Amino acid sequence: MADEKTADEQHSEGSEANARMQELLKFTKIKPKAVELTGKIKVPDLKPNSMLEVKPQLLTVKEMLEHLGYPADGLVPNWKEVFLKKMDEILKKYRSVRLYMDICVKCGACVDKCHYFLGTGDPLNMPVARQELMRKVYRRYFTLPGKLFGSRFVNGADLSEELLVMWYTYYYQCSECRRCSVFCPYGIDTAEITMAAREILNSVGLVQKYMHEIIFKAQTIGNNLGMQSSAIVNALEFVQDDLQEQLEMDDIRIPVDEVGADVLFVTPSADFFASPHIESLYGYAKVFHQAGISWTMSTHASEGGNFGLFIHNYEHMKKINKRIWEAARDLKVKRVVGGECGHMWRVLCNYSNTMWGPFDYLDPNYKRPQHICELTLDLLKRGALKIDKSANEEFTVTMHDSCQVSRAMEMGGMPDGQYEIPRAVIRGVCHKFVDMPAETIRERTFCCGAGQGLLGDDMLPTRVKGAMPRMQAYYRAKQESGVNFVALICAICKAQLSKMFPTYGLPMEEVGGVHQLVGRAIVLGAKEGV
Amino acid sequence: MNGVMNGIKFMVDMYVSGIVYAALLVFVAGFLYKVYFGYYKTPQPLKIPQTPQPTTLGGVIIRMAGDVFFFRSLSKGTTLLFMAGWVFHFMFFLILIRHIRYFVSSVPEFVSALGNGAMGIASLLMVALIILFVRRLIDKKVNYVSSFADYFALALIMGIVQTGIMMHYEKFRPNIVEVKAFVLDLMSLKSPFLTMIMHPHSSPGNSLFITHLSLVAALLIYFPFSKLMHAGGYFFSPTRNMINNAREVRYINPWDKG
Ligand code: SF4
Ligand code: SF4
Ligand code: SF4
Repeated sequence: MADEKTADEQHSEGSEANARMQELLKFTKIKPKAVELTGKIKVPDLKPNSMLEVKPQLLTVKEMLEHLGYPADGLVPNWKEVFLKKMDEILKKYRSVRLYMDICVKCGACVDKCHYFLGTGDPLNMPVARQELMRKVYRRYFTLPGKLFGSRFVNGADLSEELLVMWYTYYYQCSECRRCSVFCPYGIDTAEITMAAREILNSVGLVQKYMHEIIFKAQTIGNNLGMQSSAIVNALEFVQDDLQEQLEMDDIRIPVDEVGADVLFVTPSADFFASPHIESLYGYAKVFHQAGISWTMSTHASEGGNFGLFIHNYEHMKKINKRIWEAARDLKVKRVVGGECGHMWRVLCNYSNTMWGPFDYLDPNYKRPQHICELTLDLLKRGALKIDKSANEEFTVTMHDSCQVSRAMEMGGMPDGQYEIPRAVIRGVCHKFVDMPAETIRERTFCCGAGQGLLGDDMLPTRVKGAMPRMQAYYRAKQESGVNFVALICAICKAQLSKMFPTYGLPMEEVGGVHQLVGRAIVLGAKEGV
Repeated sequence: MNGVMNGIKFMVDMYVSGIVYAALLVFVAGFLYKVYFGYYKTPQPLKIPQTPQPTTLGGVIIRMAGDVFFFRSLSKGTTLLFMAGWVFHFMFFLILIRHIRYFVSSVPEFVSALGNGAMGIASLLMVALIILFVRRLIDKKVNYVSSFADYFALALIMGIVQTGIMMHYEKFRPNIVEVKAFVLDLMSLKSPFLTMIMHPHSSPGNSLFITHLSLVAALLIYFPFSKLMHAGGYFFSPTRNMINNAREVRYINPWDKG
């Protein structure tokens, strides 16, 4: 009997805690404000707690939470236990997290490198301070002195509801862009820590809505937008009709589920109708058409993006990735090519091979997935595409290096291919190309401000402030060199910047994809042999 | 009277030998334990190299050497921090080499050559430490993230350097011959056991030398429990030590061998 009572008590205490938590994390709408564009990125003064109010919405749909394997009723009663168990598991499974808990010397090289800090001045958006939120718990519960002498002695923190609030706030003000890590003497990757923190929050029942809704849709329906396959077929047919009408050609196609095509093409589902994404879809279609490569999209793998990357939950990512693998086999293609998307490309390039093995069951010559820019540049070099650069005469183009692409991988087998190849493609189809200031591009690129799960409308205040460095850099290039178009290779960047440009008082039309430019410059029909 | 002196001498000798062996034990065991079980044995599931990461093993080794010897990654940020940090580490390293002379009977050429510049090196080291310390105090951002442990580590090393510099002066200088004999004694295999059965070697009775040695022992003991583990940890940092060839060569996740 006594036992039952304690369980009951525990339960009611637990639900009180949950009620408090829901109240603390309640979403408040804050009107975002853009700063004036000056072309300069100034390091702000510290403004403690200035971003404490900004929190993303919680996911409350039981069905989704259950499917994802997270608690369905908010904060679990025994959350401290669950929290530490999950953290322990991650520390044992991820060397990155384990090591980075130990070796930061707080040198401060990273303090002014994060776009969210630069945009907000909130000290907890300094990368090392963000890491410290977890390190405090680590020192208290996972080191010998912490276990023996308590949190005071090791500058640690006991688990508390406030701590959960801080975690939920500031680990959702990090876009896992890894810029800070470039400057860190040990390459400490805050993204790895953020990913771990998010999964720990998930395990106790504090699940962010935007990103996890998408993970759910991608796993169950097959794409981030939750479109059924018939809707995809319709949408792509519509795009194809549009394209044929525009070009007055009836043999240019956007094939879907065509068994035996050479190429399986995967791209973010946003490319099917969002603007400016769709312009790049036209571009891809024209490239394939003109090069005479038979290609197909897939309704099964209708999504290139993989939000599973954003949390240290390997299974989510693996499950989403599997669809591409299956589609490639079912459609009996020879190779897999990926469209313009930052994090999708990181998963496809860096992780897919680990999770499901090489695509060697396709054409053994193409056991690795290819990026569309690699393919297009190759065609350009071989003269397989007839190009009329004057079609892009009105543009002076610059390029925003997407953080996931620019800091995570190679392209074309070269360590700096991810910078050179897209630029070479742009130069191949435009006369005028100018780079933004050196400290804002290539490996030092600033994230667009909405990556890795922060693109939801509920995150607008964070997005507007985080976009500041990129906007200033663009503005400077505009002032100095008359740039009037920023070419992107990421669907999230496109969505974010096409919203931020008007917010900062610039025309939305100045945002677009690399293959948008390619598409405009290709002269169709004038084939001169491959 | 003589008896009392002998008693004190015995206690000092016990203390000095004792802390040296205790510190070495904690340092070596702690360091190896952390590196082996904490870093080496913890699996890294995915390839997370960070560009500009080379696509070959040779390239990765060169990049890491650049980080270790020239602080390449750090040099991309603030110059002051990079310079002070590099001078501190490099001068510290030179001073360590200089100490070889106490550990071998015939001193190699390059070590004695360092002798001429030793004071200059030590002063530079001290200046770098002061810059790092002051920077922590006055840079608002760095100050915000600094805690007691960060000042403590700097202060400890400053104490070591300062006592080292002071021993250079006649007034405080211990008998070098005695010091060297003592160090060589400590290095003999049976010495730890002699210490355990309360037969310590005779130590140079110089209080500054004993302070210097005590601070070094404190640093060694503190080392495995602190951020100083970056010294071994860096080599396991997956953003820096993984080859950027995930598409070319399949990387196997140790806990999901698929
Ligand atoms: S740069 Fe690296 S070591 Fe320095 S404070 Fe930042 S995370 Fe820590
Ligand atoms: S990963 Fe990017 S967003 Fe996160 S702390 Fe570092 S710089 Fe900021
Ligand atoms: S959307 Fe683009 S810039 Fe933004 S986070 Fe993704 S890759 Fe980075």
